[in-house]
Amino acid sequence: MSYPPQQPYGQQPYPQQPYQQQPYPQQPYSDQQYQQSYQPTQPGMQLPPMPPAPPGAPLPQHDGSGPVVHDVHSLPVNDNVNPYAFSVDLNGPYYLQKGKMIAYYGDIRFSGIGRGVLDRVLEQNFNSPLHASDWVVAEGRGKLLLADRAFDLNSYDLENGNLTVRSGNLLAFEPTLALKQSIIPGFLTLIGTGKFVAASNGPVHFVEPPIRVDPQALVGWADCPAPCHHYDHSYLHGVLGGIRHLTGIGGASGEEHQFEFIGAGQVLLQSSETLMAERSVGVVASEPGVPGGGVPQQPGHGGQQLPNIPGLGNLGNLGDLGRRFGL
Amino acid sequence: MPFTKINNKMVEARVLPGQRLFSQRGAMIAYTGDVTFKPNLTGGQGGVMSMIGRRVANEDTPLMTVEGQGSVMFGHGGHHVHLIDLAGDTLYVEADRLLAFEGSLQQSTMFMGAQGGVMGIVRGQVTGQGLFTTQLTGQGSVAVMAHGGVIELPIVQGQPVHVDPQAYVAHRGDVRNKLSSALGWRDMIGRGSGEAFQLELSGHGTVFVQASEEKL
Repeated sequence: MSYPPQQPYGQQPYPQQPYQQQPYPQQPYSDQQYQQSYQPTQPGMQLPPMPPAPPGAPLPQHDGSGPVVHDVHSLPVNDNVNPYAFSVDLNGPYYLQKGKMIAYYGDIRFSGIGRGVLDRVLEQNFNSPLHASDWVVAEGRGKLLLADRAFDLNSYDLENGNLTVRSGNLLAFEPTLALKQSIIPGFLTLIGTGKFVAASNGPVHFVEPPIRVDPQALVGWADCPAPCHHYDHSYLHGVLGGIRHLTGIGGASGEEHQFEFIGAGQVLLQSSETLMAERSVGVVASEPGVPGGGVPQQPGHGGQQLPNIPGLGNLGNLGDLGRRFGL
Repeated sequence: MPFTKINNKMVEARVLPGQRLFSQRGAMIAYTGDVTFKPNLTGGQGGVMSMIGRRVANEDTPLMTVEGQGSVMFGHGGHHVHLIDLAGDTLYVEADRLLAFEGSLQQSTMFMGAQGGVMGIVRGQVTGQGLFTTQLTGQGSVAVMAHGGVIELPIVQGQPVHVDPQAYVAHRGDVRNKLSSALGWRDMIGRGSGEAFQLELSGHGTVFVQASEEKL
């Protein structure tokens, strides 16, 4: 945002009242200042009600203009902080996938599965040795924040039910649930009563069977009795299809293979499993026409260097003149 | 309009008999009903000559034809999806940004290099458009992919809109675009503002901009 703020196109400038400049730290607005700074734009328009003055210390003002500051008490209990972060009120053991913890308050220990005194507890509800190395047990008391690659997070409640979820999408679950490997490779089944947290690329969309789903877009399913493969090659029939089949010209539609769900239940879908490519921050992408694009920052130098022009020696250094002049 | 937005990364399309859809290959998420997906040999509408044209113009994104009766959900790569309704006007968009569009739209390839000479060629390079772009004309709707959410900026006469070439998605209407550069000596020593090139769109229409400088 540039400063001073520009007027958007085609809009009249606001009849702005000059803000009362306040010394830092800010006092809460007095009633009179509030009335002054809120000028009704039309006659007859009601003034918005004055927010109640906070007792004691001023609370952070959540007017949508700045970041919301949380502390250990204001963090939600077993709920989303925002679409991408989830706050768990930890009291006892809790399972989470490695690397999904972003921050915590309190006294929490993290230990790998298969180590130490926890093994006795684990035997009852972690029945997936294949995935044991991907999981850790968090134990203690406090608030635990989870996030995963800016994916949308959601928590799900199971009541004496079952839900199968893609193993990469499951973030954490309560130990009242039992984790087992699904028959479909790459999926984990949770059985029992409790809460778990799962990630999805974009919000999860629930659909009811009968439906056929692209394998990449499948997050999981609940209660569906018979998930099965469905192959669709009907376009390979006929003369044209035969030529296509023999020569490969025309290619495949990319949608020959789906998972088919029938019966009662729910299927959970996401936009796609594909992740955003990891990229380091701060380097301009290498693209034709973009000056200096893709040139990595030199260690010890503030900026990018000039290209070497033959006959002129290394123009980029020039005895580090640029850096000395603070260019 | 056969498309309904489920969330900002997914659309649902109703498929009715006799009304086919084109979509990018592999962009189907799920479907119900009796729907078939056929790889489109020519990569879109028109005959073999159109296919050759697209191949030459490098606008030959693999498409598939969706036919039958039912409903199909589309989404691709976790990209945001934006729905654009066309009522007889023309949308200019890169072929690889097309998630799905109605078969009632006329698809063709357009030479962009004629606008602006050498600067037009540079513009093609910077925006990733190349010298050619795909245009869709007629009555129908299009689902366009973008990295990050899409905002629409209206272009009116006398008030050109400047857009970062990397954030440009598509435009519609009677719009001329040219690349304006603010190259200075600072850019030459790598101390530029990073906004040396801007796409200037003037005329009458709408430009669609994504909230990211990442291409698809």
